[in-house]
Amino acid sequence: MLICESYHVPKTLEEALRLWAEAPDGSRLVSGATDILPWAREGRAGDVEIPALIDVTKIPELKGYSCDKGRIRLGAATVYQDFLTDRTLMTNLPCMPYCAIWFADDQIREQATVVGNLVNASPVADGTPPVVALNGEIELTRLEDGAVRRRSVPVADFIEGPGRTLIQPGEIATAVTVDSAYGYGGSFQKVGQRRSLVISVACCAALVRADSTGTVFEDVRLALGGVGPRPIRLRDAERRLKGERITQELIQRVAESAADSVGSRSRKEYRRDVVVNFVRAGLEEALANQPEIGAKFKNFGETENA
Amino acid sequence: MPKIDLTMDVNGRKVVKQSEPHKRLLDFLREDLNLTGTKEGCGAGECGTCSVFVDGKLVKSCLMPAAKADGAKIETIEGLARPGSLTPVQQAFHKTGASQCGYCIPGMVMAATSALRENPDAGIEEIKERLGGNICRCTGYTKIFEAVEIARDVIAGRLPETALDEDATGESFIGANVRRLDAPSKVSGRLKYAADMKMVDMLQMQVLRAPMPHARIVSIDTSEAEAMEGVACVITSADVPGTDGFGVFVHDQPVMARGKVRHFGEAVAAVAAEDLITARRALAKIKVEYEELPGVYAPEDALVDGAPVIHDYAQDNVIKHIPIRKGDIAKGFAEADLILEDEFRTQQVEHAYLEPEAGIAYVDHDDVVTVLSPSQNITHHRHMLAEILALPINKVRFIMSPVGGGFGGKEDMIYQGMLALAAMKTHRPVQLNFTREESLVASAKRHPSRVRYKMGLKWSGEITAIEFDMLSDGGAYGMSSEGVMRKAAILSCGPYEVHNLKVDTKVVYTNNTPSGAFRTFGGMQAQFATESMMDMAAEALDMDPFELRRINMMRIGSRTHTQQELTTASLDRVLDAAEEASRWEAGAPKVRGPRRNDLGGPDTRKPCTLGARIGEPTDTQTKDERVAS
Amino acid sequence: MNRKMRGRGMASSWYGIARTATIDRAGAWAELDDGGTAKIVTGVTEIGEGILTVLAQVAAEELGVRPEDVTIGDNDTSRSPEAAHAGATRQTYMIGNSVALASRDARAKLFAEIADHWDVPVDSLRAFNGELWAQDTNLRMSMDEAVKTCKGRGVVPVGSASFTAHGTGLDPVDGSGSPWQAYVFGTQIAEVEVDTWTGEVQVLGIWAAHDVGRAINPRGVEGQIEGGVVQGLGQALMEDYQTEKGYTTTHGFAKYILPTSLDIPQINCVIVEDPDPLSPLQAKGIGEPALVPTAPAIMNAIYDAIGVRIKSLPATPEKILDALRNHVPGREQIAQSARQDRAEAHRRGL
Ligand SMILES: Cc1cc2nc3c(=O)[nH]c(=O)nc-3n(C[C@H](O)[C@H](O)[C@H](O)COP(=O)(O)OP(=O)(O)OC[C@H]3O[C@@H](n4cnc5c(N)ncnc54)[C@H](O)[C@@H]3O)c2cc1C
Ligand code: FES
Ligand code: FES
Repeated sequence: MLICESYHVPKTLEEALRLWAEAPDGSRLVSGATDILPWAREGRAGDVEIPALIDVTKIPELKGYSCDKGRIRLGAATVYQDFLTDRTLMTNLPCMPYCAIWFADDQIREQATVVGNLVNASPVADGTPPVVALNGEIELTRLEDGAVRRRSVPVADFIEGPGRTLIQPGEIATAVTVDSAYGYGGSFQKVGQRRSLVISVACCAALVRADSTGTVFEDVRLALGGVGPRPIRLRDAERRLKGERITQELIQRVAESAADSVGSRSRKEYRRDVVVNFVRAGLEEALANQPEIGAKFKNFGETENA
Repeated sequence: MPKIDLTMDVNGRKVVKQSEPHKRLLDFLREDLNLTGTKEGCGAGECGTCSVFVDGKLVKSCLMPAAKADGAKIETIEGLARPGSLTPVQQAFHKTGASQCGYCIPGMVMAATSALRENPDAGIEEIKERLGGNICRCTGYTKIFEAVEIARDVIAGRLPETALDEDATGESFIGANVRRLDAPSKVSGRLKYAADMKMVDMLQMQVLRAPMPHARIVSIDTSEAEAMEGVACVITSADVPGTDGFGVFVHDQPVMARGKVRHFGEAVAAVAAEDLITARRALAKIKVEYEELPGVYAPEDALVDGAPVIHDYAQDNVIKHIPIRKGDIAKGFAEADLILEDEFRTQQVEHAYLEPEAGIAYVDHDDVVTVLSPSQNITHHRHMLAEILALPINKVRFIMSPVGGGFGGKEDMIYQGMLALAAMKTHRPVQLNFTREESLVASAKRHPSRVRYKMGLKWSGEITAIEFDMLSDGGAYGMSSEGVMRKAAILSCGPYEVHNLKVDTKVVYTNNTPSGAFRTFGGMQAQFATESMMDMAAEALDMDPFELRRINMMRIGSRTHTQQELTTASLDRVLDAAEEASRWEAGAPKVRGPRRNDLGGPDTRKPCTLGARIGEPTDTQTKDERVAS
Repeated sequence: MNRKMRGRGMASSWYGIARTATIDRAGAWAELDDGGTAKIVTGVTEIGEGILTVLAQVAAEELGVRPEDVTIGDNDTSRSPEAAHAGATRQTYMIGNSVALASRDARAKLFAEIADHWDVPVDSLRAFNGELWAQDTNLRMSMDEAVKTCKGRGVVPVGSASFTAHGTGLDPVDGSGSPWQAYVFGTQIAEVEVDTWTGEVQVLGIWAAHDVGRAINPRGVEGQIEGGVVQGLGQALMEDYQTEKGYTTTHGFAKYILPTSLDIPQINCVIVEDPDPLSPLQAKGIGEPALVPTAPAIMNAIYDAIGVRIKSLPATPEKILDALRNHVPGREQIAQSARQDRAEAHRRGL
């Protein structure tokens, strides 16, 4: 049970930053509350009594998104359901709808923020690999001598380990900025014990851009989640695919090499198998999902086999 | 505690209230507004019994601080239709029998309503995805899907409104699809379960649970908790006036741990206070000194010489052993052409009824100690509680409140005793609502089992002998273990006439969470082993699995494993019906999957691929908005 | 091997109705009430299975009223007769029959008065759907009038009954005995798809044929089968309550994994009716038996699809991939010949 002395809903960023800077020790920020409320229960943190909760979702500056120079700035109030309802986000961030559909359920996605997922930094988070694949940077804002100061940190560096990030006291995460991957094919692979409300054992985000004839990989982005303390970008695999002819053999070979990226000690054998298969399936599905040329890859590989 | 002002539009009415800053929207609706159609099945976002609309979006109200909903427009199950009427979705649920215990149903109706509001033309795959956050433990979802599809088509005008009417009855009500009489109260959220009820002057109870699986209780000091403002009483086993012990076959379980704890999460003491938070804070003030004891955590270990003893009366840790003998297995195995031996294991399974345990106790004007709870066995509970309280049996009254799912899990009297004691001590009504986490650690489970199996067969397929040996983990208390072992033994070798058999089922104490009654009562564990063996035997004999079963099946006149002569037996007809309905292609079970021709028929579902609403990426080209680089 | 492999498996089952290896009993009271309605009081009813509706159907049928005219109480140890517990697949059998008998008792009181009033033989009277009539005559009245007439003659049409099922205990040495007087049988077929890249199993179809004696409410029977199948599926594939040295590691529903709407197959129910000769309603039961064959049918189907046999539940994705990784094609066949050798050795008395 989460018991707080006060609950603040600041209406401006300055107000929020001030409240946060002055908040008594133990106070917490809240976005969707979908991590923080279940955390304060038996078996996890148990009953937690804290001085203040500061809810940042009603701040106009943190809502919505904007686009600039091939990058999209997702305000901190962006929730996962947005990737299933907003056409611009769906087409420019083509791995996100597939991540979102696997993420919790429709109701939680209306609350759960991208930022909350990153700050929570769970090793089995689904939100981290696609953001890492999209070269995401998190924007951290604080008050310094009364002035609003911002800094940006690549998400790949921001998450240090389970529950550990580079966020500093007084800082509020105000946005996540990601590449637009318009024209790419995107995909998201996930396995757990069921099909809804499922915690990943492993997951993989892929983005692929093939040339207009569908012969060569022009760009490839691959990231894994659930296989170590933090999300992993498969830079080496990406390098080996970029500029190469698209063949089953190549995909298979590169996929095999991904097995060694598994750092988790638990269920290691299983995760190694799955990661190899996920890189392969991820690439194949991303190709099949690429606008214009996807049709060529509809039955590529065995992913679609019945 | 400081209060906050909340203003909301709830079901079309403006609500202005002061409340506590920590409350979730769920608490605000249930406690402050008495809108108890919204339920708390898990409190952690995992079940959907708490689904409500906030500004038109369906959310889980257990994950939303009430303060976050300040200023919002809220719609709950109570607000969907005018009192006395039902929406098409609710009517469709009524028609198809989509509600059983009903505990998930308000949330499920909300999710179905949301699905059709978001996409009135949603196909079945999308509907399933949109219901994906709402667990139903009773219905198997099938009738719910049927209801949502009917409602969708009625709303869209594709089906006439009469599609929502009850099926016509012919010349008899027996065999008719009479609609469930209790469905209207369930689909509208009006039915009050124990946790939804309030009584004047009622106290809230919370339970202190054992933090370790096996320990001697050296001392319990409740003085500090008792002295707290708002605490009405603290109870421990010292407060039990009569013979302390309950259980279905042996009364080996005290109302609260007496002298020692035998499993993690066992009740040790309980507080009744003016409100929930006070009761929880008081728990933290109870000081219990434990002396940890070596424990037993696997049934095999319970039987080892010198194993820690869990109950003094059972020095060998055995709760029950049931033997069944028929014929002569040595002879039977000697006649066999083929002998199969294997071992099977089943896990510990939770009932996971959506309604966590809850109850209210009070002492009425005639001094009758009354307990209202979703008990599956009020008759037996009354007997046991009268002994525990040392009262004449007519001074103890059990009322069965609507049961939000039981499956055997609400047959054990694991909390009613505490409620009664607190009501007697305070002479005020006392309510206890379990959290989901509490329900998981404190309630009985399906027995985990290990079966060693040996089966002899002739080349003809005839079973000549079976040796069946089951060991089960009963956990810390006896509960229904004895009965479960008996049923497992009786049903063990399946619906086959076996002339020579030796069956042993044994259940032992350990320091694990207790096992108890659970739908099938041991029958499932036993027959999982038998039916796996039968498939393996069919493969070894190169025989169709239906044929192997027909050769051995019980018929009229057959003698069961316990040598009862059957006067009816229907397996022949059941096998025929199943074979025909499934269009079964005959053949031995030799990994035929890749070659079968009976797969993928119209009576199967398509594999779930997720993303029914995302559509083909190529469809949406024209609507794309590219972000300039 | 293709990524997605399909297969089918089947399993049968049997089950006993009502309490095991003991006498079982249930009591009920019935009253034909004003307005041609009815009151039924019995000690234990609904836990979600639909028994209230079944009892209303039974009472309506026996009393000649409509199910919606029946009021059922009371689940209260101080206000209603003992009906024991809600479990053991005994509700329809025990309480259903007890309500049927109590209703007959009440109806007999009413019929006796009306027969006398009309001066017709009692056995010519019939009642259904709120009407009462004497066969082969024009005599007819509503149940409302009938109750009025009966009460006008000074008689309140009440009845009561107790129903007994005669199970016997088991012999402590050889286990012999007759634990139940009614048995049901079932058979299920499962069709699965195994994703050999992740180990995930999706059950696509279940065909469930169950003998229920007599289906009083077929939709209700289907509901029990569907619910049972999905619980069986949960145990087969995902559910697992775990402890480590006695400490629970499965704290909440985030850890205790239940089937969702996306995890369930199409369920095709086939109701088989083999009437029970020993009870007035001839119905048996379905609550528990429906889930018995599901898990083995699924395991047998997994074997059919990929050739690995899971003998320890649940068949999680990880377990499936482990089994595939360690799978030696043909090993089952090798094992089989070993088994034959064993049988041979047995025969020779070794
Ligand atoms: C039933 C259920 C299913 C789930 N399924 C999934 C799933 O499939 N995949 C998955 O990845 N996750 C899942 N989650 C976890 C959770 O929903 C996500 O991690 C979500 O993205 C968290 O976002 P939030 O806005 O709700 O975070 P909150 O709970 O509000 O906050 C999370 C953390 O971030 C901090 N925080 C919040 N906002 C800010 C900010 N602006 N600046 C700095 N710190 C901040 C909070 O103090 C807290 O520590 C699930 C949760 C539940 C309850
Ligand atoms: S999801 Fe809110 S109570 Fe379970
Ligand atoms: S009816 Fe759904 S949980 Fe009981």
